[in-house]
Amino acid sequence: MGNVLVWAVWVVAAIACLGSGIAVISFSNPFFSALALIGNLASLAVLYLLLAAEFVAAAQVLVYAGAVMVMFLFVIAYVGGRAEHAFESGPSWQALAAAVAAGVILVDVVIAIGLTTGGRLEDEADIGVVFGSPADVGEVFLTNHLLAFEITSIVLLVAAVGGVILGSERTRKRA
Amino acid sequence: MITSAWICLLSPLGASALITLAGTRISRRAAGYLATLSVLVSFVVALITFFRLVDQPAEERSHVSTLWTWLTAGDLDVGLSILVDPLSVFMMLVVSGVGFLIVAYSIGYMDGDDEERRYFAYMALFVFSMLLLVQSGDLLILLAGWGLVGLCSYLLIGYHQERPQAIAAAKKAFIMNALGDATMALALFLLIQRLGTLEYGAVFEGIDGVGGWAITLVALGLLGGAVAKSAQIPLHTWLPDAMEGPTPVSALIHAATMVTAGVYMLVRLSPIFEQAPRIQDLAAGLGAITLLVAGVVALVQTDIKRVIAYSTMSQIGYMFLGAGLTTYPNAMFHLMTHAFFKALLFLGAGIVIHSLVAEQDIRRMGGLARVLPKTYTAMIVGALALAGIPPLSGFFSKDALLAAALDAGAYGVLLWVVGLIGTFLTALYAFRMIFIVFGGDPSPFVREHLHRPGHTIPALWMAWTVGALTVLSLIGGWIQFSPFWHPLTDFLEPVAVPGIEPSGVEEVVTSVLAVALGIAGIAVAWWIYSARRAEVPRWELGQRVLEHKLYFDELYDAVFYRPAVWLATATSRFVEGPLIAGSIRELTEGTRLLATRLSDVQTGLLRTYALALGGGAAILTLVFLVVRA
Amino acid sequence: MNGPDVSWYLTLSSFLFAVGALGVLIRRNPLIVLLSLEIMLNSANLALIGFARHLGDTGGQIFALAVMAVAASEVVVGLGLVVALNRSRVPLDVDRLSTLRG
Repeated sequence: MGNVLVWAVWVVAAIACLGSGIAVISFSNPFFSALALIGNLASLAVLYLLLAAEFVAAAQVLVYAGAVMVMFLFVIAYVGGRAEHAFESGPSWQALAAAVAAGVILVDVVIAIGLTTGGRLEDEADIGVVFGSPADVGEVFLTNHLLAFEITSIVLLVAAVGGVILGSERTRKRA
Repeated sequence: MITSAWICLLSPLGASALITLAGTRISRRAAGYLATLSVLVSFVVALITFFRLVDQPAEERSHVSTLWTWLTAGDLDVGLSILVDPLSVFMMLVVSGVGFLIVAYSIGYMDGDDEERRYFAYMALFVFSMLLLVQSGDLLILLAGWGLVGLCSYLLIGYHQERPQAIAAAKKAFIMNALGDATMALALFLLIQRLGTLEYGAVFEGIDGVGGWAITLVALGLLGGAVAKSAQIPLHTWLPDAMEGPTPVSALIHAATMVTAGVYMLVRLSPIFEQAPRIQDLAAGLGAITLLVAGVVALVQTDIKRVIAYSTMSQIGYMFLGAGLTTYPNAMFHLMTHAFFKALLFLGAGIVIHSLVAEQDIRRMGGLARVLPKTYTAMIVGALALAGIPPLSGFFSKDALLAAALDAGAYGVLLWVVGLIGTFLTALYAFRMIFIVFGGDPSPFVREHLHRPGHTIPALWMAWTVGALTVLSLIGGWIQFSPFWHPLTDFLEPVAVPGIEPSGVEEVVTSVLAVALGIAGIAVAWWIYSARRAEVPRWELGQRVLEHKLYFDELYDAVFYRPAVWLATATSRFVEGPLIAGSIRELTEGTRLLATRLSDVQTGLLRTYALALGGGAAILTLVFLVVRA
Repeated sequence: MNGPDVSWYLTLSSFLFAVGALGVLIRRNPLIVLLSLEIMLNSANLALIGFARHLGDTGGQIFALAVMAVAASEVVVGLGLVVALNRSRVPLDVDRLSTLRG
């Protein structure tokens, strides 16, 4: 019974995810695209929950769908959502080639997965209750991956400083 | 003793470096004094070394001092080492002693020249190079000194760098010497291959075992070096042209350094040459040919310095003859006396040239005896010593050398005859020059251009050095008068054992004949050039041949120069032009075309780049998949 | 719990990635290009978390969090550029920004 429920949730989330993804790249107005991306991120959070990654799912909703996308929407509002005809751009061979390239990547990965399936991908590891909980993630983050943690913080700091400088009127004038 | 030998070697090098580094911070005169002082220091410590060496028993008079390992290649170790033994000390004394007088003379001669500092730096370096050559304890160091001497001769012959002939002469000297260096280096390679060492001691011990064609080749290669450095036929053509350098340089090259190096090597490496007697005979033969040819050519030269230059070739020929016939002490003895009177002749000629505003053509001179009486006396002494008239120095050395030739079989007798003819020629050309330059009434040119060197400081430097050399030429030969007393032979005995010993009768016969021929030569010269009782014999063809120096230059021109030029032109036209320059042109054009085409790819469009990235990733994944499958 | 195994997640992830890549390749509005980039990054995150679950290793989740931080930084810089472009009256069209043309 639980099995069917999990499958049902997965199928719904997967469809929402793909659909909103396609919506992001299809809308001509970036404002709608951004809204579609929020949906995409939310459905991904559901998938994360299915994968026992509670903390990441929470972070996804809070940080990504919340903070980052709000910033996006602000910028779009500031710039003004200029519409663009979604698929009519540049030389036509380019759009064709882009589609081909994306398709080839897709087919490649799917074939790769198909080749390995039946081998090692079936046996799922047994996990405890704590797997993916904030306590677990926090412990691993601050012990095994302390350096990555610190570097991430520095990257964020640099990005923040860069954003301020790029957006600051005064600096631009001096330059 | 070792310390003093090192000081002797390094003092001129230090002076040279100091003058070079000081640049314009020291006056020109100071540079001259510095160079002179450094060579004087060399001479004094060489004297100290000599006396210390004499204090020791004869069989212990050989010391090698190694500073550090200079070069290591495989099993071959070459130390930076010097050898102090009677032969090297003897050469140190000659080189630094005569070198000192010549450098001191330069203070006067070069006074007022714009680049006096450069001149004195070169001179000190030249003396250092020659000292390195004679003090080396190793064949490779010998070769290094050999090369440095060649370099310095190049620098000094081309000292007047604004004169194209001087540059050409410098290049000629350098190339001729490089030829000798090359044959010598080949000989050393062969020695390394056979013996694995280049130290004198080890080489002389092991040389018996080399044998066969190898030893002949080694000796031949070494002889090539000696012939080039000492300007013997067939590598002699650089020496007359080397007269383009300032006169004291000529004196240094001819008397103290450079040309005597070949003789020194023949004696120093006598254990090697004795293993190849045919090469020794060749050396003696070359010497004989040279002394004759140079003597004849000197008869028609009109440049005062060239006359003396050919006389040097001729005298070095005597030394080769002696060294080739293994009468080493006599060859070295002649080297020393020759250093005295040749330096004297050159420096005297330098005074003549100096007082005639750089005129060197003897046909425009004449009657200088009246205006330059002291120089006249000095030149007479030099010429008499050159001609071997007793009791001047040349008599003792040349006659002993020739007498030894009588002891060397039929070949020796032939060489003896040649040497005697050479004596006659020597006297003839020496006094032809003396009579033309100094005899008679002053020529119009002399009356017009003469400027008497006053009693200024430069003139005094020139005067006293010439005076010192005059005294040396007068009495320098008395240190040995075989067979009555022979300290020099005894001193050199541990290094170079003479293979032939003339008897008293041979000595007397030779001396009488040589002196008679010398006087005859002077008489003929007086008859023709001073008393003018006879016309100068004219023989059109002979004259022309001699004036062209037996067409050696023309021969080398035709055999080496022209084919080389032809080959170079042909290569340039048919190979370099179309092939190398053409391909380079094509390459640049091709690259430019390719770049233009490639730059089209740089659309500047972000999405094109992203597409390239994505496409590349797709293809890579595909490749991985295929490889896996 | 016997839900879909990791290959399903990976397949979904690759589909998402292809969609994002298509968006980057064919859209001219830099804002939408940035949004598409987000999709690509998130598809990679999905694969990472899927593998973390599959192998029972929290390291994959840590990696996903790091990717999120990098994505946030990238958005900050990208949006800063967009704002700067807009302020200097440059049209918001990646095809017009071709000063790097060779």
